[in-house]
Amino acid sequence: MLVLALLAALFLLAPILIVVPMSFSTAISFQFPPPAYWLGYYRKFFTSEEWLEPALNSLIIAVGAMALTMLLVVPAAFGYVRYRFRGKSMVNLLIMSPLIVPHVVSALAYYGFLGRAKLTGTLPGVIIAHGVLAVPVAFLVITATLKGFDRNLERAAMSAGAGPLRTFVHVTLPVLRPGMLVGALFAFLSSFNEAVVALFIAGRGAATLPKKMYESIRLESDPVIAVVSTLLVSAVVLGVLLSVFARRRPSMRLDT
Amino acid sequence: MAYLRLDRLVKSYDGRANAVDDISIDIARGEFLTFLGPSGSGKTTTLMMIAGFEEPTRGGIELAGEDLTRRKPYERNIGVVFQNYALFPHMTVARNVAFPLRMRGFPRAQQATRVGEMLRLVGLGEYADRYPRQLSGGQQQRVALARGLVFNPDVLLLDEPLGALDKSLREQMQVELKRIHREVGVTMVYVTHDQTEAMTMSDRIAVFDHGRLAQVAPPLEVYHRPLTRFVGEFIGDSNFFTGTVDAARPGRVELDGLGPIQVDVEACRRIGGGRVDVLVRPEAVQLAGAGGPTLPNSISMKITVIVNYGDSVLVIGDARGHPVRMRLPGAPPPAVREAATITVGWLPTDAHLIGVRL
Repeated sequence: MLVLALLAALFLLAPILIVVPMSFSTAISFQFPPPAYWLGYYRKFFTSEEWLEPALNSLIIAVGAMALTMLLVVPAAFGYVRYRFRGKSMVNLLIMSPLIVPHVVSALAYYGFLGRAKLTGTLPGVIIAHGVLAVPVAFLVITATLKGFDRNLERAAMSAGAGPLRTFVHVTLPVLRPGMLVGALFAFLSSFNEAVVALFIAGRGAATLPKKMYESIRLESDPVIAVVSTLLVSAVVLGVLLSVFARRRPSMRLDT
Repeated sequence: MAYLRLDRLVKSYDGRANAVDDISIDIARGEFLTFLGPSGSGKTTTLMMIAGFEEPTRGGIELAGEDLTRRKPYERNIGVVFQNYALFPHMTVARNVAFPLRMRGFPRAQQATRVGEMLRLVGLGEYADRYPRQLSGGQQQRVALARGLVFNPDVLLLDEPLGALDKSLREQMQVELKRIHREVGVTMVYVTHDQTEAMTMSDRIAVFDHGRLAQVAPPLEVYHRPLTRFVGEFIGDSNFFTGTVDAARPGRVELDGLGPIQVDVEACRRIGGGRVDVLVRPEAVQLAGAGGPTLPNSISMKITVIVNYGDSVLVIGDARGHPVRMRLPGAPPPAVREAATITVGWLPTDAHLIGVRL
């Protein structure tokens, strides 16, 4: 069983891991195994405006999209978990729809919609699109956290003399914080890695890293892509490790 | 002298069935009152209304002459202890206990002194800097108790606080709770479905039956003189017979299928006449005949089951199709063995009559 599992893991991971040695390669195009190793392409990435600008755009968009997602999802999750209302399952379906609709279709829709609002090729435009696309993942994480929240904690706080606001600040929010952080992290990553919608709407003005990579690989097979891929994979691994750490924080659990 | 007064409280969630149906109780200052009843009998809902977490559909709640009915939980001065402890997981024990004082704006130095006092009261002086997850269930419940008491509440409400603990710990905590009640003197309203807990701790027990109040009385009165058959069956072990009282012949009940028995004349007069439920507690049933005392009420029964508890024996027999339960202290005498036929009886004063309202 263990051997099988390792083989499966290898099968899944190998293509990703291959880019790591390639990023240190001296070859002028993609070549495996690399003829020799150097850091030249890293230097190129960190010095060329052509790559740094999309990297910065990606970062700004991901942070913006994360903020937008949380603004939408946190109140929605509270409403969804804590209240009963007519059409609740329809609302759930609506919130989940970005996950169900193919990205190309969403991309096309955003292209038309944002174009009319004169937001294509701008950072706010991409932030809006990415923010909405990240809603389902963040919603799933945060509703799950909220369902596990013991409402007697809020009652205990209220009988202790805390009004609704102070109960939220001193009790609800701190107890839910790890789940919220994981939700925010997923939103961030979903935007940071998104390529299809970005290709349609980011244009020149708000080009993101995945979009730049796609264009670069089509036009020139520049090994800098291996560098960017390596950096992205590292960032994702770091992010996942962080979220695992946040989940393992004992304050997340209420039992002993 | 009512301190906390529940006045015809009604709570309905769907507008049709009443989860709590016309509950009125006057609770004295410093009293330990227990709400006892099976799950779904409305006892917790009533408690939640006193705490302010649920709003009554009708009726009112008064504390020391002030109307509390529409007041928010944080505007009442009432402490609550929950079954699942509900300690704040991100705060230390000391900060949990200090929380009500912080919310009420007590000066910092006073907070520390008061928290220290409370932790000593519940025997957790050493644990101030631990987190709740580092404590056992019993210790967590003590912290919750300290948090509920620290701000000198007018009333402390406890919702099945020992329900999650194992038996020996539960008994230990019962004693502890009684001690704390004596030392602090706060009015306590305690919810449980455990009749032993209710019997051992309470000044008075309020028995809930389907959202209604079946009886409010001291434990021994509830035990020996239940107002309804439900109360008699819910609290303690019981034998119930049905029969008829003839108003012309006081002191006598004609049991269905078992013939006439003698009962207390006064009890009969109180009932008047008509159908009655007759309660005889198993420990009041004695061995009669063959060397035993002669009892005015005796029936013969065939023993079906003998259950040995070590300190006592429960004998279950069959008397002409009616099950009879008898509890004897110590070990069973030689005559008591399975399938044997014995004569048992009880004193007229040990039969409690409950009039059956048709």
